[in-house]
Amino acid sequence: MDRRGFLKFAAGGTAGLVASPIIWNTLYDAVYWTQNWGWIPRLKKGAGEYLPAVSKICPSGTGFLVRTVAGTPVRTIGDRNNPVTHGSITSLAASEAELRVSPSRIKKPLLRSADGAYNAIAWAEAEKLLKAKAAAAGKSVAAISGDPTSCTNEVLSAILRAKGSKDFYFMPDEEQPALAAWTSMGGRGRLGYDIENSDCILAAAPVLESWGVVAGNRAAFNRHHPVGAPSTQKLIYAGPVQNNTAAGADLWLPIKPGTETILMLGIAHLLIKAGRNAADFEHGYTPANFKEFADLAAEYTPEKVCAATGVPAQRLEAAAAMLLDAKAPLAIAGSELGSGGGAAPVMAALSINMLLGRIGSKGGVVCLPDHANVVKGAMKYSEIMARPLVSYTQDVASGKKPAPAFLFIHAANPVYALPSDSGMKQTMQKAGFTVAVASFFSETCAEADLVLPATLGMEAFDDVQTPYGSGRITYAFARPVVKPFGEARPAGELYIALAQELDVQLGVKDMPDLLYQHAFALGTPFRQMMEKGTVFTADSAAPLPKMKFNVRSLKAALSAALPGDAPVLAPVVVLGLGTAATSVPPFAAKTVTDYQICGKYSVAQMNGATAASLGVRDGDGLRLTAENGATAEVIVSIFEGVMPSSISLVAGLGHTAFDEFSRGKGTSVVSLTGITREPGTNLPVWGTAGLKAARA
Amino acid sequence: MSAETKEFKIKWGMVIDIDKCTGCGACMVACQAENNVAPAAVGGNKLRSLNWLTVFRLSNRKPFPDHEVAYLPRPCMQCGKPSCVAVCPVIATDKREEGGIVSQIPPRCIGCRYCMASCPYHARYFNWYDPKWPGDLSQALTPDVSTRMRGVVEKCSFCHHRFMKAQELAVSQGRDPYDLPDGAYITACTEACPNGAITFGDVNNPKHKVHELIKSPYAFRLLERLGTDPQVYYMSKREWVRREGDNYLENEKTGEPLKKLG
Amino acid sequence: MEERNNTTTPAAAKKCCCCSWGPFVAGLAAALALGWWVLPNLMKVEKQQPIAFSHVEHVKKQGMYCEQCHFVRADGTYSGAPSTAECATCHFTVIGHNPEESRFVNEYVRAGREIKDEWLIYQKQPDNVFFSHAIHLSAAKDVKGPEETAKYCSICHIDVASTDVPPVYRENRLSGYSENTMLMWGCERCHAKHMAAGDTAASNACFTCHK
Repeated sequence: MDRRGFLKFAAGGTAGLVASPIIWNTLYDAVYWTQNWGWIPRLKKGAGEYLPAVSKICPSGTGFLVRTVAGTPVRTIGDRNNPVTHGSITSLAASEAELRVSPSRIKKPLLRSADGAYNAIAWAEAEKLLKAKAAAAGKSVAAISGDPTSCTNEVLSAILRAKGSKDFYFMPDEEQPALAAWTSMGGRGRLGYDIENSDCILAAAPVLESWGVVAGNRAAFNRHHPVGAPSTQKLIYAGPVQNNTAAGADLWLPIKPGTETILMLGIAHLLIKAGRNAADFEHGYTPANFKEFADLAAEYTPEKVCAATGVPAQRLEAAAAMLLDAKAPLAIAGSELGSGGGAAPVMAALSINMLLGRIGSKGGVVCLPDHANVVKGAMKYSEIMARPLVSYTQDVASGKKPAPAFLFIHAANPVYALPSDSGMKQTMQKAGFTVAVASFFSETCAEADLVLPATLGMEAFDDVQTPYGSGRITYAFARPVVKPFGEARPAGELYIALAQELDVQLGVKDMPDLLYQHAFALGTPFRQMMEKGTVFTADSAAPLPKMKFNVRSLKAALSAALPGDAPVLAPVVVLGLGTAATSVPPFAAKTVTDYQICGKYSVAQMNGATAASLGVRDGDGLRLTAENGATAEVIVSIFEGVMPSSISLVAGLGHTAFDEFSRGKGTSVVSLTGITREPGTNLPVWGTAGLKAARA
Repeated sequence: MSAETKEFKIKWGMVIDIDKCTGCGACMVACQAENNVAPAAVGGNKLRSLNWLTVFRLSNRKPFPDHEVAYLPRPCMQCGKPSCVAVCPVIATDKREEGGIVSQIPPRCIGCRYCMASCPYHARYFNWYDPKWPGDLSQALTPDVSTRMRGVVEKCSFCHHRFMKAQELAVSQGRDPYDLPDGAYITACTEACPNGAITFGDVNNPKHKVHELIKSPYAFRLLERLGTDPQVYYMSKREWVRREGDNYLENEKTGEPLKKLG
Repeated sequence: MEERNNTTTPAAAKKCCCCSWGPFVAGLAAALALGWWVLPNLMKVEKQQPIAFSHVEHVKKQGMYCEQCHFVRADGTYSGAPSTAECATCHFTVIGHNPEESRFVNEYVRAGREIKDEWLIYQKQPDNVFFSHAIHLSAAKDVKGPEETAKYCSICHIDVASTDVPPVYRENRLSGYSENTMLMWGCERCHAKHMAAGDTAASNACFTCHK
């Protein structure tokens, strides 16, 4: 073939190729190929379901719907049929489907080897070890539970009792000091608050963020504040920082940390001056020692209160006027940190409720019955509540009490959540054998000899008995609507099996049986709760107690030294950043703001005057030294919503365990605080501290 | 393309009551989970992290104790006259569909980021890196929204897949998919807000609650005077909060210039 | 012709005529064969379905309806191909004489293997496509019986209702998609047609189909 022939052949070939689809098809295919990003996860399809379940990691046991796709949970969303939440969900509970598969989730039982590393072992081996250690420990056993609403506490405490130990403790929470206050004033059973039906709430506690039944509180806030219509409930928030609760409040009472009791007495003073004398006409009694209390309150004139707490006088009077105008006012006190609060603020708040005749009234203080026990030999709820964990761990650390040979830590992270002088770490080190039953690998797991993976609320049978802060009796089942992740097992079943191994007679054979007996005791249809996940609610029928003022304890507590003008720590809790046992959920990491974390440093918020007195400006580094010697380097952020001389830090940071979403970021607020004893009640209290600040 | 604006029979709108928002972040969590936005280990770095919905803290800029705080959740405004659509060279973003939601098709995006520069609300985010779901986290992906890749822009879509689902349900039940009842289609953030601060619906439909809410004297929109005509409205009884919504002069009052513009 | 004969010899003219079209035609033919048949086949890899499922057996002989296996779920999603568990409602044990059936029962039902994970989908769409079977089936309310259904479904799908063995699955080596995958223009053409006819409001706006 000559050159011409070849060119013609080539021309024919070109024409043929152009006339065939191969070029265009290959181009198309190349385009599709560029959109195959094989290393990016693909979506799964499948049948979808919305199943009612409860969160066991959200402190008040928020009920929600778990959305599953082909059996895998992908979302947790509010459940409008839930009589507690009415569709509200907390930011922590909203991230539970993702927390379930978070990198810090424990998949297998882990045993610590001699060199401190954790090795995965089989469940059979773990159970054998558990039984052997528990049996060998004799009566030297102790347990800590971080889940006061669960019936698994009965099983654990029954095992302890059967072995001859009473060392069963709850993690410190809001209810312990509140119950101490309530009982000391003549209250019986448990203290509850009918927030839903109140029309004016004075709260020295972050009721919209972390205190009490948060989802329920928010649902009440929602219904009382209809969009585009006048609100039907007023909220007065007292606290050192303009936090999330303050953002929803009608009135913010800025007070120095630790001066809640004085503020409450100042308001009591104004109420008494306006003629409120605790004569409860509805219930027909007047506390015998009203006069004594009135004398105490008389000392707390607005001038004195304003000087001590830092609250502007106008606002103090406005708050009192709002309470006086209201039909169903309610006073609540708690702690900013959610634990470590004293009993005196609650006593003072209860005193205000008594002055206003709000004990046992609709929208007032409610008397709730103690949790029913169905497990044989279980310890009473109020009995456990009355004994602070910190007293025990401090005694063990100092050698006053023998260290337990076997220590159980259930759903709690006390190593992180308690101040360093709580003796928790020393107790774990001194204990013969420590077992942490947890869902996420926490600082406490990192100190335990054996770590057992526990299921979440959506993966196993468990329950939520009336959480603190509720105004009604509520009861919900945690039901396994999805498969447990990894090799996680239900803690309740584990304890029941252990009891059977140790020949402890519980009177229940498994968790469904335990739940059945609870439902039976409450008189609620078990089947419906089990099959449909319905939630039981009832108004309390507990008899009204005859309350009296606890003037002696109040006086003692008020004798404590007041914070001066030196910088003082004001912690802020954001529930979205998780609890001690969960740390920061993966999907909450982006909700962290630049006024909470800057790089790996916590951000300290303070007002301009405070910053000026410390000689720092916005963005400067600051070294904080706490009274207990702990130091922290923080970044200054000017925020005028903080009390003068208060330094605000967000809680829930500074983790050393868990995963990349929480580890090594910021400072743990608790680590800066030390434990003191509340005068009068001798309760261990913490949560605020004097700070020395220097530019860094 | 840029100058002409399409009128829609349905106009999905959101009314956010700032006085009800307390900044808990549940909306942000729900948004990320629903729309498969990958988590970020360093979430505090707002330059590099990606949020379809961000909650900003507002301040009345007064010193203590007169300081007041408010929170402003910022989704995509789904502008009636979207500046992002006008600048997109490849029509990866568009506003053509009934409902008036500004669409964003990540695989079509070439990553020029003109839209990000043109958006006055900073509602658009760029994937500087491949999204990562460490460990088993990708198990919790929803089937609703496709995962994105590095090099593309993404933004809030008013949970458009929920609109599709609502239409699907209406059609299969023999109802009109273009006359959805109030609440049949709401976004994930609306659903998640425990305070009920967000109301969602068709602003053109008198049967929907938002239709009345946007007429409130307390309603305003962000940077309204730019003329972007956002479909997201805010409400606050506090004058200073409304002032934060736009660049007002000292002597100007909120609401008035809006009337002048008609 | 005569004039040309003046300048070239007849033999040369004949040769030139031949060489003027021969190579071109040969090249054209080769390229057409290459472009229409050889290369497209080289671009594709043939795959077998895990089980030689017979629609004829199920539909024609056993009288089953399409909706018994392919249905819209209560939540509006589409079931697609049945799962092992769904097949096992009948095939919990070997009920026929087909060796493929006994293989299915032994290797999938008894072994607990999921057939759905292995079944090749001829028209699998990428993640960013939203397609609602429920909406598209709402126009087929009058379609009754397997034959009409097969006709309606094969507007988009390949017609499998009358196949005794599953059609060959050909996957593009480059893009990874099946050759039967519907491309975007396929969707758009139909949507445009119905928009023009005024019997749908689902325009060709991006968000009508993408997520």
